Amino acid sequence: MGTTQPAQHLRRSMIYRILAEAGAEFEVLADTAVAMRYADGGDEVALARRMGLADLSPLSRTGFKGRDTPDWLVTQHVAIPDGPGQARRQSDGALVLRLSVDEHVIVSDLHARSELPARLEANWQLSAERMCYHMPRAESYCWFAITGECATEMLAKVCGVDLRVDKFDEGRIAQTSLARINAVIVRNDLGATPTFYVLADSASADYLWPCLVDAMQEFEGGIVGFAALRALV
Amino acid sequence: MSGVNRLPAPAGLLVDHDQPISFEFEGKRYEGLAGDCIASTLAANDQWLISRSFKYHRPRGVLTMAGQDANVLVQLPKDPNVLADRYPITEGLRVHGQNYKGSLEKDREAWIGMFSKFLPVGFYYKAFYKPKGAWEKWAPLIRRKAGLGVVDPTVDPGYYDKQYKFYDVVVIGGGPAGMQAAITAAQAGAEVLLVDENPVLGGSLTYARFDVDEPNSEVTRHRLLAAIEASEHIEVMTDATCNGWFTENWLAVIRGKRLYKVRAREVVLAAGAMEQPAIFGNNDLPGVMLGSAAQRLIRLYGVRPGRRAVVLTGNDDGYGVALDLAAVGIDVAAIVDMRSQSRSTVLVSAVRGRGIKVILGHTVYEAIGSDRHVKAVMVSRVIRRGQCESTGDVMDCDLLCVSVGYTPTYQLALHAGAKLHYDDDSAMLSISDVPEHMRLAGSVNSVYDLDAVLADGRRAGWLAADALGLKWEKEPPAPEETGAAGRNFAWPIFPHPNGKDFVDYDEDLQVADIINATRDGYEDVQLVKRYSTVGMGPSQGRNSALATARLVADAMGRPVAETGVTTARPPFAPERIAHCAGRSFYPERHSSMHHRHLEAGAQMLLAGVWLRPAYYGPKDERDRCMSEESLNVRNNVGLVDVSTLGGIDVRGPDAGEFLNRIYTFAYVKQQVGRGRYVAMTNEQGVVIDDGVACRFHEHLYYVTATTGGVDRVYQNMLRWNAQWRLNVDIGHVTNAWCGVNIAGPRSRDVLAKLCTDVDLSAEGFPYMGIREGRVAGIPARLLRVGFVGELGYEVHVPQHCGEALWDAMMEAGQAEGIRPFGIETQRLLRLEKGHIIVGQDTDAMSHPGEVHLAWAIARKKPFFVGGRSIQEIESRPLRRKLAGFVVNDLDAPIPQESHLVLRDSAMTGRVTSCYFSPTIGKPIGLAFMAPDQAVPGQTVTIKSTGGVLVSAEIVELPFYDPQNKRQEM
Repeated sequence: MGTTQPAQHLRRSMIYRILAEAGAEFEVLADTAVAMRYADGGDEVALARRMGLADLSPLSRTGFKGRDTPDWLVTQHVAIPDGPGQARRQSDGALVLRLSVDEHVIVSDLHARSELPARLEANWQLSAERMCYHMPRAESYCWFAITGECATEMLAKVCGVDLRVDKFDEGRIAQTSLARINAVIVRNDLGATPTFYVLADSASADYLWPCLVDAMQEFEGGIVGFAALRALV
Repeated sequence: MSGVNRLPAPAGLLVDHDQPISFEFEGKRYEGLAGDCIASTLAANDQWLISRSFKYHRPRGVLTMAGQDANVLVQLPKDPNVLADRYPITEGLRVHGQNYKGSLEKDREAWIGMFSKFLPVGFYYKAFYKPKGAWEKWAPLIRRKAGLGVVDPTVDPGYYDKQYKFYDVVVIGGGPAGMQAAITAAQAGAEVLLVDENPVLGGSLTYARFDVDEPNSEVTRHRLLAAIEASEHIEVMTDATCNGWFTENWLAVIRGKRLYKVRAREVVLAAGAMEQPAIFGNNDLPGVMLGSAAQRLIRLYGVRPGRRAVVLTGNDDGYGVALDLAAVGIDVAAIVDMRSQSRSTVLVSAVRGRGIKVILGHTVYEAIGSDRHVKAVMVSRVIRRGQCESTGDVMDCDLLCVSVGYTPTYQLALHAGAKLHYDDDSAMLSISDVPEHMRLAGSVNSVYDLDAVLADGRRAGWLAADALGLKWEKEPPAPEETGAAGRNFAWPIFPHPNGKDFVDYDEDLQVADIINATRDGYEDVQLVKRYSTVGMGPSQGRNSALATARLVADAMGRPVAETGVTTARPPFAPERIAHCAGRSFYPERHSSMHHRHLEAGAQMLLAGVWLRPAYYGPKDERDRCMSEESLNVRNNVGLVDVSTLGGIDVRGPDAGEFLNRIYTFAYVKQQVGRGRYVAMTNEQGVVIDDGVACRFHEHLYYVTATTGGVDRVYQNMLRWNAQWRLNVDIGHVTNAWCGVNIAGPRSRDVLAKLCTDVDLSAEGFPYMGIREGRVAGIPARLLRVGFVGELGYEVHVPQHCGEALWDAMMEAGQAEGIRPFGIETQRLLRLEKGHIIVGQDTDAMSHPGEVHLAWAIARKKPFFVGGRSIQEIESRPLRRKLAGFVVNDLDAPIPQESHLVLRDSAMTGRVTSCYFSPTIGKPIGLAFMAPDQAVPGQTVTIKSTGGVLVSAEIVELPFYDPQNKRQEM
């Protein structure tokens, strides 16, 4: 893993310019570049524990929907959540989000070690016999992580769902409005640090990111890189 | 010492005697203390005149010291109508009074008050509305004379925002009842928010006197504060106003520059009570204030409210006020008690013990002013209800404190649907029909004695916790003795023959105004309100609603209980529009190539929420840029970002049948690897969207839709299939794909450099063919479509690879002279080709036959949405038709969209699109017109810019390449 620039890769986060302006140091992860840390970012781990915002969009993710999807995922050795609105961590670190009875999103772990999203996409085929359809969630969603003890209070400035940690358990999902755009919010703590993944319209990433940065100012929050998030686990 | 009336330290709960602060009022410097508000600082400095009244420019000063009146509205440099009795002073603050001409002290418009007898209630309606149109002339003059502060529209309001909060119990009001309710609910395990508008908790404990000898209110306050601070379950929000109750306990709480949108499972309303003024002559003079206002000045701010006082009372609280005044060295000339005797012999003996004279059965007939301040009062004997002798003893004083009763702070309860009732026996208003999940506690619940208030708060907190299923202790009983009896004097209204007996200080309404409103036929209190404007000023009837109800009842010969009072609606207190707006969120969508457009100098335009490049180049060179871009496409190769086009995957065994029903054309037999035009009509047969259906697999159609229409198309698809139950899945994949259209005679050459796994030859990849392959190493869906009328390919790739695709295309096409073109140019090019844009060249009435889409209807299939309506429409004569036109006179102004098509002087249609075409060499356009006008060779008249009539020749469509050789090459 070496330093790189996002424009050297075919896949680029929709907000890589914003991250670069913030002093991001990019490293190669799979087929793209991720913001590993920030110049003059100080103690990003401490920042992430208080109030951090990270762009996870370069990580792999995929989705499937249709009435035969749960059965098919089980045949693919996926441990699916018991019901809609829940997420379940897989043994390889991937996270499976059950958005509805029939619709699932599978997101990678922070190290991109999980091969589950790629394996499922490789194994899936369009078939007249099976109502299970691929949804290109790696493209349709940008993916941000909001971390730290102030995360819920910060989110309360842009979202009307009660996300307080004692009310919104780890693994719960809210499909809601965030700063006036649709978003999927899932609580997935990193170690002891409350963490919320936000999956939202990728074409709105340029808009949403500054909204979140603005909302976290009063908590002295800041942008953090992958390295800080990994250190939380 | 910060002012001649400042009491020595440690007097004043809110102020810090070690931190002097100075500010300006009316250009004069005043010194106050940290913690002071504007009014308390002015009072400390013996400046009692604070502002002028709304209509008569009467001098006004402190009335409530609780932010409950309009007497103390002042002007800040960037902020009008600020409550001086709540706004804290800061170093260098500059403040002015309001509503005067000249100076506050010598208002040149104070003469208006002398003519008040000639300005009765309803005067405006009677005097200025005839003859017709007169009001328009009078209104500006009247509005200049009246009014409040001055708004500076150039002021940047600063950063305001909003935040959601969630609690089990929200207690509104941090007085003894609210504090106790919060403690009890928290002890049961509830998460509690305690909201209070004051800087510190305590409510009446911070200023009122509950005991004759040694006040224990501060001891009680500290005990409650300690319990609150010790609780992990109570969050306290001071300096915060709950400004409205909305459905399901949604509470709007404003603090600073933030609106908190608070959700509460249970609400305890402990908002307290509002002391009421008495009505007599000149009851608005500065120096006349509520007893509680004087107590607030003393206890909260350490300010002596006068030197020699008279206390006018109708209850025992006035005796407590007198004791407080005497305690800080004020000479209390007398307590004037409207009653024949006091209820509390202890209080009477206490005040007499301090040498204070008590005059029973008397009232203040009038306040006598000098130099805009009270200098004496005339005390007269009460003859009967509402009537006193017109002569009496004149008592010198510079302070008149009034304690005659209360109304509950009912507003929030009424927002929630509760009812306000008047009891003629107790002369009190009380609240009933409190809705589920809301409870009252303390004086808002007509409970006044401190022990009873605490018991009531405990019970309300317990009931709220119980409703949440939290059991902690057995149910506390309701207090037996509330202390409400005798708290309100039944009729503290003594009209003065010369008027100036104000019922509503905000609107300068006197007793006669209310009576006259009823005589004018407005017999209901709601009508009186609307006719007289009583209760419609900034304080929203806080000080006038009770008196108005009493006066209307009396005038109509009804009990007050039957008359009722007006209701209350949010907001509770004036709020800023900035609070409602908050931090504004304006979502925007960008394609992954967005920044490349900006770097290339694109002028961006909004298409729905998408930002799209209109053209590339300076804003003032639009036509040149568009011309160059279009000619480059026609002669060379151009690249346009089409990422915003909608994309929907329709998949499953019934996908073809589904499209057959949704769209007008036929799709079941469409070959895999082919695209086909789609037009969507609604049930009325109106064209609402179009695009291309690309069959990539037997069971997969990738359907494109218009940028602005795709969400509606998707919703329509879901809605219809909820009925049809076809075996399909519908996936909205617009933002999963981005795309470009590379177009022009050299587009194939450029694409061939980047795409080696697809046969791009005319035979291998014909017009309307679709393929999957890799472009610049990126997996892509390729569509050979011809929207701009040239050889061209839409290349759709995964969203996050869009910028890489753009870069690769631009680099690969350098030798061919590739350049980007914008949406405006694309619209010109498609117009040359005669293609319509749904939404621009169609409207809410356009059916396929009008807009050259009849060819896209499959007549043999049994059903499609809108088919039956189209059949009906087509059975009738065509009423209008979209036709192409050219303007041959190159000097004529180019018609614009919506310019009218005329026949003689009658309108027959309108222009929908028009551009100057560099390729055709003249302006071309599309327009609706009468069918007999839409015949090639005809000439029609278009009313163009400035009313210039322009002749346009109707021509066959398309304007360009009618044989389609260019796009099919």
